[in-house]
Amino acid sequence: MAQPPHTPLPPAWADRLLRVVCPPVLQEELLGDLHEQFDQQVAQVGESTARRLYVWEVIRFCRPYLISRQVQAQMAEVNTDLSFSFLHPNMLRNYLQIAWRNLLQDRLFALLNLIGLSMGLGCIILIYLWVTNELSIDKFHANDPRLYQIMRNVTEGPNEINTYGNNSDLLTPALKAEMPEIDHIVATSDEVWDGIASVGAKHVKAVGKSASTDFFNVFSYKLLQGAADQVLRSIDGVVISDELAVNLFGTTTQAINQIIHWEEKPYSGNYRVTGVFKKPQPNSSETFDLLLTDQLYLARNTMDQSWDSNRILVYVTLKEEVDVAKVNAKIKEFVRDKFKAAYGPKNLPWIGTLFLQRYSDKYLHNVYINGVPTGGRIEYVQLFSVIAVFILVIACINFMNLSTAKAEKRMKEVGIKKVMGATRLTLIGQYLGESTLMSFLALIISLIGVAVALPVFNTIIGKQLTLQLDGRLITALLVITLVTGILAGSYPAFYLSGFKPVAVLKGKLQTSFSQLWIRKGLVVFQFALSVLFIVVVLVIYKQMAFIQTKNLGYTKDNLIRFTNEGRLQDHQQAFLAEVKTIPGVLKASSMSGNLIGSHSGGGGIDWEGKTERVEFSGLYVDYDFIEALNLKIAKGRPFSKQFGSDSSNVIFNEAAIAAMGLKNPLGKTVTMWGKKKQIVGIVKDFHFESLYNRVGPFFLSYEPYTDNILVKIKAGKEPEVLSRVEQLYKRYNLDLPFNYQFLDQDYQVLYASEHRVAVLSRYFAGLAILISCLGLFGLTAFTAQRRQREIGIRKVVGATTDTIVVMLSADFLKLILVALLLALPMAGWLTNKWLDHFAYRIHVDAAVYLITVVLVITIAWLIVGYQAIKAALANPVKSLRSE
Amino acid sequence: MSRTYLGEFEELVLLTVAILNSTAYGLAIAEELKQRTDRSINLSGVHVALYRLEEKGFVKSELGGATTARGGRRKRLFAITAYGKRTLDELRQVRNDLWQSIPNLSFS
Repeated sequence: MAQPPHTPLPPAWADRLLRVVCPPVLQEELLGDLHEQFDQQVAQVGESTARRLYVWEVIRFCRPYLISRQVQAQMAEVNTDLSFSFLHPNMLRNYLQIAWRNLLQDRLFALLNLIGLSMGLGCIILIYLWVTNELSIDKFHANDPRLYQIMRNVTEGPNEINTYGNNSDLLTPALKAEMPEIDHIVATSDEVWDGIASVGAKHVKAVGKSASTDFFNVFSYKLLQGAADQVLRSIDGVVISDELAVNLFGTTTQAINQIIHWEEKPYSGNYRVTGVFKKPQPNSSETFDLLLTDQLYLARNTMDQSWDSNRILVYVTLKEEVDVAKVNAKIKEFVRDKFKAAYGPKNLPWIGTLFLQRYSDKYLHNVYINGVPTGGRIEYVQLFSVIAVFILVIACINFMNLSTAKAEKRMKEVGIKKVMGATRLTLIGQYLGESTLMSFLALIISLIGVAVALPVFNTIIGKQLTLQLDGRLITALLVITLVTGILAGSYPAFYLSGFKPVAVLKGKLQTSFSQLWIRKGLVVFQFALSVLFIVVVLVIYKQMAFIQTKNLGYTKDNLIRFTNEGRLQDHQQAFLAEVKTIPGVLKASSMSGNLIGSHSGGGGIDWEGKTERVEFSGLYVDYDFIEALNLKIAKGRPFSKQFGSDSSNVIFNEAAIAAMGLKNPLGKTVTMWGKKKQIVGIVKDFHFESLYNRVGPFFLSYEPYTDNILVKIKAGKEPEVLSRVEQLYKRYNLDLPFNYQFLDQDYQVLYASEHRVAVLSRYFAGLAILISCLGLFGLTAFTAQRRQREIGIRKVVGATTDTIVVMLSADFLKLILVALLLALPMAGWLTNKWLDHFAYRIHVDAAVYLITVVLVITIAWLIVGYQAIKAALANPVKSLRSE
Repeated sequence: MSRTYLGEFEELVLLTVAILNSTAYGLAIAEELKQRTDRSINLSGVHVALYRLEEKGFVKSELGGATTARGGRRKRLFAITAYGKRTLDELRQVRNDLWQSIPNLSFS
């Protein structure tokens, strides 16, 4: 078979490249010229060189001139495909142009819309940042889906199940031995200790707790030095945070095997550093600087080990693929079974049942009703999410109202477009596009606003949020902005696109009853929300004021508290005696724990004729405690040196006496945790807990050596006395910092989250009202403008300014009244629900509603009235002469 | 100056189109220019110059003259327009005037 003559051809890919960069109309002649040249060059310089030259020549064709023509050609082709589509590039350009012109034409309305939407979006962004942060807390643990805390439900009365986190220290080894579903289990102390870590003369305040060996297997706190399985093994070992390591040793790497001294009774001593961990980040609900071993905790703690001594928190990771419900069922009666086997059925009712709670859920769901997690912080997260959405909705309503009100001006545009063949869909697309454009403009402004407001917001919520534009945030922002744009544009889009072209071109805008109704309805809705916000803010404010001023049964002012630490612990009585000699010190005493916040207590009190168990709270205190706090004695006497030793005496509050049902209690003997004590006095009830709780049974027991010193200072003498007390303190603890706390600061901490809610809701309510007012302002301005001629004619034929003002404002004020009528009952119901959380609460009186009504009507009237008066005072000649 | 600007290379291409008259097409013009000017001429430059000239109205073009040598592809044949011719004349006139205005200087 004869070979066909070889025809050299240029590289095919070069031809393809040329087709890509050159417009189709030129391709034929260009390829023709190129191929002709190639053939000549093959003859002149050979095939391979010709091919190279050919490629080179083609590459030179990739020049802007040809490429730009190619792009134009492609666009033209697309255009012909889409010639009837509303996405036609020319149409898109037209939409943008018209949107932009509309913005410029009505600068006032555009500005009102923009401000409103920016504020709404700003709120949403802030709340989004906060909520995502709250939701991320404790989620960083690698075993998060399998990480649970073992909780304990105790039935402590009819219909009263209380939930506790602490458990028996016998539980951990028993569960580990008997439950194959558990992967790792760890026990930690049920409280954290504020102590002092020292190396040589260097002292650092630190927060410590104890943990058993598997701590770093259960939790994902990062170990920088040491192995997870080893660091908590030896009883003299301590694991410290990188921060503490740097503070003590100046390094994290050289800290291992160094000895540190830890001062916090009864765990004081010298410990060897076995590991260094990275200090828990802000997205961890727990923070601590140092971990001692569980063995040490159990050895030093004086409580007996038993199935009824609850002093550890237990966390487990379950094995993969384990059914939580089954584990829950298995552990429910675990402790009760053990207790019964060990000690018999007596007291069994006081032993709790166990259940598992996801560790990362605990942060937000930390309130239990009848043994089931029912709320907690999550309520605030939900509350503020709802508020943010409402504010955005109010802003969107502004947009809807102003755009539909303005529709008259645009009806010709719509008419012409429809005549030219625009479909309803086209117009809807256009108006949605306009509102989306608006919301994106608002997004830019709101981002600037958020960046400015974030530091303030952070101080209110007590967090360190940052505006980091990562992928997730950007996606969220885009979605929020798009949804806002579509929400704001939805009603105007359907409304405007529904015009009948013939009617609108003839100049008739049929404003039907239903359309007016919607616009009015939206205004009512907006103001109803604002009214709701105002009432809520007022009620929260009043309840907070009530908390601040309520007679608590003790005086919390001018009282300082500081920890009895270091060498002070051994010379407490001498120290107190010296403090009392300082001029300006009224009383000095000591207490175990803190009156506000942490008490001792339990059910281990027996008395004559006891029929049912009562849970007591209580404090171990020194002489002068009752006097320092100004507690009122109802019967008997306070602890006093005049009566010899009070160490076998006890004082109860009235609630305790009532709960025990003792008649003539003075002089009677009770048994407290095995020790006989005589009742020497009864104090009137005082609020030792937050006002969420009723005052319960309380005891005061005499104990001269406790961990908190309390000093009552004469008002006005604080600076002198504080510096004298500090000098005295330094005599005992030269190298420890003197840190004191005013008792009323402790009191504020009880209501920190209420305080946050109060401040935040004030801001948000302010914003909601502001945005609503912007809308009202726009709407009245528009109405006044539209009725300019009518007003002119009315004035010419004799209407007075008054009648015109009334005519213009009445319409809007009616709407505000409707809003008030709708919102007030709703607000009353909601605030009552919130107040029900408090055992001691205010009752919302007429004044709150009255203030709201007056406030809202005044604001609305100022806005409406301003426009109305302006319109009514205008010279009618101006509005009438043009025709 | 009301006349559209004409670059140096464009002017050369336009002159070549005038020379080749009705047989002017991309490759032929490039070859002609290569021969006459001794410059390295690339095809793309010539083509772009031709299209520019056409946009400015100095040349007109039509497709024609398919030959087997080009894989059956047609050539775009360019011809100078009256406006192009006039522009060349004007340019030449301006140059001549300028030349004549040079005083007889001696550089040696």
